[in-house]
Amino acid sequence: MITFTLNGKQVEAEEGSTILEVAQDYNVKIPTLCNHKALEPAGLCRLCTVELFDGRRTRFVTACNYPVWEDMEVKTHSEDVIGHRKMIVELLLARCPNNEFVKGLAAEFGVEAPRFKLGDDDCVLCGLCVRMCAERMGVSAISMTGRGTDMRVETPFQVKSDICQVCGACESVCPTGRIDVRKIAKYEPRPLVSDWDVGLKERGAIYMPFPQAVPLAAVIDSEACAHIRTGNCGVCKEFCEAGAIDLDQKEEIIEVEVGSIILATGYDLMDTTPMKQYGYGVYPNVFTSLEFERLSNATGPTGGNILMRNGNGELTRPPESVAILHCIGSRDENYHKYCSRVCCMYALKYAHLIKEKVGHKTPVYNFYIDLRCFGKGYEEFYRRCQEEGTIFIRGRPSEITDQALTPKEEGKLIVIGEDTLMNRPCRVAVDMVVLCAAMEARKDTAEVARIFGIIQGADGFFSEQHPKLAPLNTAMGGIFLAGACQGPKDIPDTVAQASGAAARALELAIRGTVEIPSTIAWIDPDVCEGCMTCIKVCDYSAIEFDQQRGVSVVNQTLCNGCGSCVSNCPSKAAHVWQFSEGQILTEFDGIMEGLQAVGM
Amino acid sequence: MNKLQSEKDYESVRDQVKKERDPERLLVSICAGSGCGAYGTEEVREALEKEISKNGLKRKVEVKVTGCHGFCEQGPIMVIHPEGTFYPKVKPGDIPEIVAETIVNGKVIKSKLYKDPVSKKRIAKEEDIPFYKGQHRIVFGNNGMIDPTKIDDYIAVDGYSALVKVLFSMSSEEVISAIKESGLRGRGGGGFPTGIKWETCRKAHGDIRYVMCNADEGDPGAYMDRSLLEGNPHSVLEGMIIGAYAIGSHDGFIYVRNEYPLAVKNIGIAIKQAEEYGLLGKNILGSGFDFTVKISRGGGAFICGESTALMRSLEGQVGRPRAKYIHTVDKGYRDSPSTLNNVETWANVPIIINKGAEWYASLGTERSKGTKVFSLVGKVRNTGLVEVPMGASLRTIIFDIGGGIPKKRKFKAVQTGGPSGGCIPEDLLDLPVDYQRLAEVGSIMGSGGMIVMDQDTCMVDVARYFLEFLQEESCGQCVPCREGIKRLLEILTDICAGNGREGDMELLEELSGTVSKLSLCALGGTAPNPVLSTIRYFRKEYEAHIYDKKCPSGVCKELFYYEIDEKKCNGCHICCLRCPQEAISGEKKKVHTIDQEKCIKCSICYESCKVDAVAIK
Repeated sequence: MITFTLNGKQVEAEEGSTILEVAQDYNVKIPTLCNHKALEPAGLCRLCTVELFDGRRTRFVTACNYPVWEDMEVKTHSEDVIGHRKMIVELLLARCPNNEFVKGLAAEFGVEAPRFKLGDDDCVLCGLCVRMCAERMGVSAISMTGRGTDMRVETPFQVKSDICQVCGACESVCPTGRIDVRKIAKYEPRPLVSDWDVGLKERGAIYMPFPQAVPLAAVIDSEACAHIRTGNCGVCKEFCEAGAIDLDQKEEIIEVEVGSIILATGYDLMDTTPMKQYGYGVYPNVFTSLEFERLSNATGPTGGNILMRNGNGELTRPPESVAILHCIGSRDENYHKYCSRVCCMYALKYAHLIKEKVGHKTPVYNFYIDLRCFGKGYEEFYRRCQEEGTIFIRGRPSEITDQALTPKEEGKLIVIGEDTLMNRPCRVAVDMVVLCAAMEARKDTAEVARIFGIIQGADGFFSEQHPKLAPLNTAMGGIFLAGACQGPKDIPDTVAQASGAAARALELAIRGTVEIPSTIAWIDPDVCEGCMTCIKVCDYSAIEFDQQRGVSVVNQTLCNGCGSCVSNCPSKAAHVWQFSEGQILTEFDGIMEGLQAVGM
Repeated sequence: MNKLQSEKDYESVRDQVKKERDPERLLVSICAGSGCGAYGTEEVREALEKEISKNGLKRKVEVKVTGCHGFCEQGPIMVIHPEGTFYPKVKPGDIPEIVAETIVNGKVIKSKLYKDPVSKKRIAKEEDIPFYKGQHRIVFGNNGMIDPTKIDDYIAVDGYSALVKVLFSMSSEEVISAIKESGLRGRGGGGFPTGIKWETCRKAHGDIRYVMCNADEGDPGAYMDRSLLEGNPHSVLEGMIIGAYAIGSHDGFIYVRNEYPLAVKNIGIAIKQAEEYGLLGKNILGSGFDFTVKISRGGGAFICGESTALMRSLEGQVGRPRAKYIHTVDKGYRDSPSTLNNVETWANVPIIINKGAEWYASLGTERSKGTKVFSLVGKVRNTGLVEVPMGASLRTIIFDIGGGIPKKRKFKAVQTGGPSGGCIPEDLLDLPVDYQRLAEVGSIMGSGGMIVMDQDTCMVDVARYFLEFLQEESCGQCVPCREGIKRLLEILTDICAGNGREGDMELLEELSGTVSKLSLCALGGTAPNPVLSTIRYFRKEYEAHIYDKKCPSGVCKELFYYEIDEKKCNGCHICCLRCPQEAISGEKKKVHTIDQEKCIKCSICYESCKVDAVAIK
């Protein structure tokens, strides 16, 4: 431990620490500019200069890189120090008089108009970008070129860099906003977008998945993380005060033995891009229902303000009118024949939210086929929306275009369709269109079905064992379904089904034993030829092959006694208990006796 | 040549070399230093050799082309030994006469001798010339006797005997304590005690240590180190080997600017010859000590003379300094302990070892020992390299040795220590020159640059000129140096252009304070010296520029005009003939006048008027 005087007070510090570190520990604020937690101190801006009395003379040293030693005397805010710092800031302000950051810095130091001739630069040459690129990213795509007043931050020979990995670390540390990675890199940056905000917002390579995530912890995008990709960077580690970041963590596969499994894999929202007539992906203000959900959400990219895109794709101003198109891809011969069940209600919710947030006079058009408001309180909500002034037009629009026919339509999206109640074509010009896209089975449904040995219905969703008698079960014993993986469902239905599936799983767990039906298959090992035909035909994956004995064996807990194996077995080795030939014949004898007894 | 394997081998070679040299034999020494070389040494040498062979004197006379003799003003210089006859400004046409008269007949040609500008007398011998008489040339003295491309010449003047002494009869500690006792301080500018530097480096943690020679002399007008490397490279090399032995280093570098081609060439030859003799490389003289030296050529940036920038440049990085809170003797080149000394410092080492620390310490002042070589340039009669003991007064150097100011002009100031040194005025001429005293008056020793200025020098313009140089050479890393020097220069340029405002001097002083105290390295730390010292000693000139919009010295073109004094003008018409603008009119033997519209203030009339009739208004 080292003891020295900091602003007249005795302080203690570890050997090797710098004045700045010790001052931070003792809550003494020393201004810095070119210092960064993740970088080696460079002492270039000289803003952190302090006064040091070494026993013989007073000197000025930079706090960021001056190591402390026994009995030294440091003054961080002497009159001289403050005067010199002000001069530094005045010099920077004269260099960059129009830069907001430097102006702010000057205001902080009480520096008004510089006494020198004004320049017009926006780089203070703090070197943070260059050092970040070299020290942490291991790239050095940019460097300080030139000497003295000619010094600049540049790529070699001012050629766009092909070694720049477009990570944007330079941009992120630049205090003045001068650095633009697009001007440095040869390649276009690929922005990382938030999945949670369906691409409406950018995110870092390390981020919170969503505000209600459990556990609420940051995750690292391994494909984007510079450390995982190159072994460099690791800047996040310097900033995490809890020391929670472990960059060496590897993906691992955990095997858990369980008694039952509930599949709750959810659904995909249909991609509406192929439906060219609706112009999704072409017109910036055509949104999907999920995008609108995030736009209207308080934790969303706009903080809950419903905004539309400007020419640059930025969400800036609220729409003056909105059209909501129901049944996009649902109830459609070309896409999904089924009804997605939830769209009517959320479309009503959107109409209500637009009226609430944008203004009660904002026209909202709902283009529908039928309004299916079948749940508790749903019909009442529909009524309320009608009373709020939402315009309901029955008929699915045929096209969305920006080709205006009248001056009023200029710059708007025109929804073209037919009002089937009025029996006439209609054109509605709006600022924003919301497409209520269909819910569809996840793209990986087939793969998941294969893994769990269950089957998909014609609509692609997982099939339950029986629609009425076993809606939670699958044909595989111990595997249950919950939520939209089984079919489109709204939240109340999902919760109800999930509770039921949980109860089913608990039922097995509490009993600890499994009851199996008496009518299950058995393969006689003395007769079995080992041709494995039965294994191929078993829908329940209940037959395994015994390599040692060379015969097929039935797993009794999985067998449902359907008899497929029996009818297909070429050597007649497969039987179903209680259904042997003798038993059937005896049963038949009994029936005949009964018939005779009653005189038939 | 077989490698020398022992002390005895060295002694036998030395004795052999000495025996071959007949002190009575005629020896013509011609200076081929950069100054004399530029005046045409090569042509003189050719003519001389031709003439000698024509006269069949080849066996009788030896011609030696040597390094710098120091008296560059008078180049090319020829000295004929053993008499020591000194012929300045020799031209190829002079050779036949010199050979016929002096070499064959042993007679001195009076008309070709050096004429002292003060006493107006012709002086025959080198040692009698006031320029040499006032000096104490322990470092430079041998230059005139050595052909820098011949190691035998150096051995003949007992070269490498200090190394032999160190290797076979002194421990590393003894060498360090000898250097410490001698009081030798760094000659590159910082003035850090050399012995302490070596000792710290020796004690620093680390297995590998480096020694380096800083030959990146960048001060405008300074060329001491250049001349030493060109003229006596082995003395520098010997110093480095001794230093390496003391520190425990086996690798050395000479960082020399590529703009010194002759120095690069000669030190390269010296290294090769020393290696051939076994004085450098593995197992030096059979002592078991290994040391190799590599040459690294610098691109010529002034900042690369700064120790940390030099080491970064050596590492292959951009030559920019770092904070020296951790010293280079602990962590320098490649983070290993490194000792960097400048050329002159290294050249002093063999002398200290040979003559003893006590003898060396007897030279100089209390805290500055030994001699210092100055490069005396500017408005002084005897331009050249001057070696004097520390503590010699400025007056001695400029007036006794330098011969004073030419053209009857008055002395105004002398700037010491290169571009970031201060300007010292006339009333401080008796100041003994050493590290402390120069610092006290607001200047620095630097590497020994000394620029003399006369009455026609504008001190504001001088400050502006040096700041311009420093702005160009600042590495640009730290804010006070990069931005501060730029603004200092901006204000000075404004003052010189007649746009000075009230408060400029105060702003210059305030800004200078920040630049000097907050800059990262010594370049910024000393950069305001020219400004501060000129404001301190020549405040009136600043005031004349700012308030009266006048440049009293007639330098700042916006702030003066020339006028012909009616009373003095004799109508000689010279000014009228020489004026490139045809701005002067007047008939012969009548008073002339200047057309101010046409005049571009080139100063040709002012310089050429014999009766001082052209006046600065």
